[in-house]
Amino acid sequence: MDREAEFRRLYEAHRVAVYAYFVGRTGDRQLAADLMQEVFLRAWQRLDTVTGLPEEGRRGWLFTVARNLSVDSARRQRTADGAQRALARERSGGWASVATPASTAVLAAERATVVAAAIAKLPEQQRVTLAMAAASELSSAEIGVALGVPAGTVRYRLSLARRTLAEALGDYDDPQEEQ
Amino acid sequence: MSLDDDLAAWAATVRLPEADAAAIFQRIVASAADPSAAPADATVAAAPRLDASWWRGYNAGFAARMVASTAPVRLAA
Repeated sequence: MDREAEFRRLYEAHRVAVYAYFVGRTGDRQLAADLMQEVFLRAWQRLDTVTGLPEEGRRGWLFTVARNLSVDSARRQRTADGAQRALARERSGGWASVATPASTAVLAAERATVVAAAIAKLPEQQRVTLAMAAASELSSAEIGVALGVPAGTVRYRLSLARRTLAEALGDYDDPQEEQ
Repeated sequence: MSLDDDLAAWAATVRLPEADAAAIFQRIVASAADPSAAPADATVAAAPRLDASWWRGYNAGFAARMVASTAPVRLAA
């Protein structure tokens, strides 16, 4: 297999999960795309090393790079353009704007906004785990390898996140119950 | 609508569009595979080095100072 074909295989196998990870971490789709590109650029530059690893090792390598990049990015964001991004997010409605529904049904749109807002309020670890599980359809064990935590921790975080979301949607479906 | 449906709908909105993913792929493979690799005809400038005799003198002096520093201090009578 030539170098580009080998890289394409790696890219197609992992790009959705890597992107979901960054969306979960940053809540910013453009930034997530930039960071995903950086992860795979590094993989491209060290392709022999990465493809020499077993499948699980490849995922581990990619997400180690991803975690380091997101830490660096968060640091930069806090210093240089943190205020600017926060302002832009504020104007665009932040996380809620991520959930632009495909359907034009008002009810579905409202519900999608409630889901997005509830996800935005989740603790970061739960949000990242949920984003990876929902967007990439990885198993708990695979997400665990990516995040460097046991599969049980992944399942626990997912369960907490789902409970929080269910409560948020319960309030939305039946607002009187709150009173 | 179940929670799974809600999550699936949300997940669909946070997926990278295929066109964007393809553009990123093309940008990456168009870049140098190993940016640290120097071109074959690159001439590496020799770093300036100190003469060997300078190092011999320096080492001898250093050793002498080390030995002297471990000698007992002679107290004044």
